[in-house]
Formats: sequence, C-alpha cells, structure tokens
Amino acid sequence: MQRYFIYSGVFVVLVLLQIFLINNISLSAYCNPLIYIAFIIVLPLDMRPVWVLLLSALLGLTIDLATGMAGLNVVATTAVGFMRMTIASVACGRSLSFDDTLPSLRRFTAKNLIIYVSAMIVVHSLIYFFLESLSLMHILHTLLRVVLSDVVAVVIVWYIVKLIIERIIKN
Amino acid sequence: MYKLIEFIRRVYVVLLFVIIETVALYCYAHSSYYTQAKILASANSVMGGIQGTLFGIRHYFTLHNENAILAQRIVELETELEFYRESDAVEREDSEALSEIDSMYLSEILQYRYMTARVISNTVNHNNNLITLNRGRSHGVVPNMGVITPDGNMVGHVAACSERYSVVIPLINMSFRTGGQVLRDGERYIGSVSWSGGNPYRVNMTELSKYAEVEVDEAVFASSLFFPQNMKVCIGYVEKVTPSQNQISDDVVIRLAADFSRIDNVILIENSDFYEATELEGSVRSGKYLQDDTMSEN
Repeated sequence: MQRYFIYSGVFVVLVLLQIFLINNISLSAYCNPLIYIAFIIVLPLDMRPVWVLLLSALLGLTIDLATGMAGLNVVATTAVGFMRMTIASVACGRSLSFDDTLPSLRRFTAKNLIIYVSAMIVVHSLIYFFLESLSLMHILHTLLRVVLSDVVAVVIVWYIVKLIIERIIKN
Repeated sequence: MYKLIEFIRRVYVVLLFVIIETVALYCYAHSSYYTQAKILASANSVMGGIQGTLFGIRHYFTLHNENAILAQRIVELETELEFYRESDAVEREDSEALSEIDSMYLSEILQYRYMTARVISNTVNHNNNLITLNRGRSHGVVPNMGVITPDGNMVGHVAACSERYSVVIPLINMSFRTGGQVLRDGERYIGSVSWSGGNPYRVNMTELSKYAEVEVDEAVFASSLFFPQNMKVCIGYVEKVTPSQNQISDDVVIRLAADFSRIDNVILIENSDFYEATELEGSVRSGKYLQDDTMSEN
C-alpha cells in the first residue's frame, strides 16, 4: 500500500520538477533534458503491461497539458512504456528475472542499470525531438539536441532513480 | 465469438498501445501553434499560481538591472515629453480651441492602446517557444496585441488569453512569420522574417530585395499591423547577407535585438483597427471582396 503513495508522490514531484525547474533552466538552446521519464523507469518490472501503458499515457498527458504540447508527450511516453520490458531485457541480457521486481542495484549490476536508464531516455528523446521538429532537414540539429539533452538527463535521472529505489526498499 | 474474445485478451495491450498512439498522434498532427497556445492558456488558470510565485523569486534577482533600464527609459521619455510640452505651448498660442479636446474624445480617436505585463513563464529551447504573461482578459488583454520589450524591441504577439493570463507567440517560434523592413534613404525594403529553430539569438529574413543592399549591423524593423506605423520596433541587426538561390533577392541572418532568455517586462500594444484591416485582407484573399464588387456593379 505504501508503495502506491510513494509512486504517486514520485509522479507529482517529477512532473513539477520538469515543468517548473528543468523547463525554466535554459542551459543552451540544445539542452532540454526530459527527466519525468524517470517515473516509468522506476516502476516495478513485474507490473502488468497494461498498467504501465496507462500510467505512461497519463504522465504524457499531464506534461502535455502543462506545457501545451497537444499530444507530443503522450506519443513519446506511451511508446517508451510499451517498449520498457524489451529495453530492460535487452539492457540486462539474460540475467533479468522477476524475483526482485524493482530496477535496483541489487537486481541489476551498475553497468546494466545505467544501460537500462540511458536506453529508456534515448528512445524517449529520439521520438520526442524528431516529432517536435517534424523534418529531416534539421537532422543534425535534432541529433545534437538529443545527445546534449540526454547526457544531462541521464545524470539527473540516475540520481533520481537511485534515490527513489533506495527509499522504496527501505520501506 | 469466444475465439475473438480470447484473441483480444491476448493482444489487448498492443491494441491499447496502438489506440493511444493513434489518438495522440492525431491530436498532435492537427494542432497548430495556436491550439498549443490555447492549451497553455487554459492550463495557466490552474498552474499560474505556482508559476507566479516562482516568477516572484526570480524577479527579485533581476530588479537591479531592471531599475537601470527603467531609469534610462524615464530619461528618454522626459526628453520626449519636454519636446511635446514646448510644441504644445506653441500650439496653445496658435489656437485655444484645439487644446480643449477632452480626454474621452482623445481616447476614442487613439488607434493604439498600451499596457505593461510581466513574463511569468518562458522557454527558448523548444521549436515552438511560447511566453506566458501575468495579464489576461480581465486586465484588458485581447488576442493579436503586439508585444515589445521596454526598450522597443519586438517580442511577438498575443495568441490566446485566459481570465488572468495570456500566451504570447514570440519571434523564436518556428510557426511565427512576420514582415521585416530595412529603411534606406527614405525607401522601405520589406522581407519575410522567420525562425528556423535552434539558436534563440538569430532569425532569418528572406525575400529581401537585393537593391536594398543591406550592410552588416544595419537595423531591421518590424513591418506589421501589430505596431503603429510610425513606431520603429526593432527586430534586430543584420549579421550576414547571402544572395538567395534565385539571385533576385537576399537572405539575411538577423541578430535579435531582444534577448529572449532574459525577457522580463513587456509592453503590449493593441491596434483597434487590427480586425478591420485583417478582415478586409482576408476577404480580398478569398475573393469575396471581388464578388461583392461585381455584384454591386450589377
């Protein structure tokens, strides 16, 4: 039961962080880290796929309404939610079993967890930035945005994931 | 039937995924910068409070700078006022009657109305950047008001308003198009200004006549119904000129005069004739005007 509260809290905090902090810090025109995806990353791995999908859509919808993006975030987050298990099993090789359901450092090796986190972020931002620019004309431009944003996003999300998972395990 | 239900049970996640994606893609594909501004304006009625508080904190740190700009502006306006006072005194001697225009009448004949607002939320790192202001319908903001910085540089125009907030489409939005003009020896050369994404300090001007022979660092002014004709609203300064592919016109890279990442106070300008002018333009474009004309001839 307590996990539900923690996850709801994580949802709200991540959305607020993204909208009010990250979106307001303009480090560079090319750097726009999308950190709210951390919510989908920390969901238990044995969660039923349909719930993951619905929660991803809800997350995308919330960000969409707050930033006025009209569907863009829903597309990106739902796609990531759908592909999450595939990404997780590719990132962790055959070692992935569902005994421990949290993507924690006990379950994964640090290397695997980093691969999982960055793969999720890269897939998400690729969809997001390419749909946002909607053209292949500025492809280098868009790729630069993806790379720069993701480097920052991975660092931030890595600490967020560690923090959240430790919190949940403690309880 | 049983088999169908069984089949759906097996693929319902994929099915749900496809449905959500289709709906979202449909919405996104059918959205324009205008719908985005509208969504943002309605979301602001919920989140405006938090934005406002954060803005207050941020605003505190820029007060010093702002004071300097305001003081400078006061000096300029005082100088201008002095000029008008003098000419008014001369006028008064000329005709007593002219000075008796009462203020009600004056406000009626004034085509442009000004007001100030503060930026409470602003992005520069998207392709479709939008700016939220802390003034809305209840303060008298209406869509299609022009927006400039206090030192007279162009920002954009109001796209949507809620009761207490409004959303501005700035120059650095890829859907934004406006006219730019270069003034040279009493001639006006007009080009089309747009932003191609990425750098929030540069915009492009195309279709500028090559006879304009613009030079680097020359000022480019806005040419649009949003601003008074005689008001020189600066878009930016010429940085690079290259002949376009068709050799008839020049493509110009403009260094923006307004720094969008630091934008804080803005001035809104309402042109009361805006709708009349654009409606007329629209009716000509759709051929309605022509029809009306031939009909009246008949």
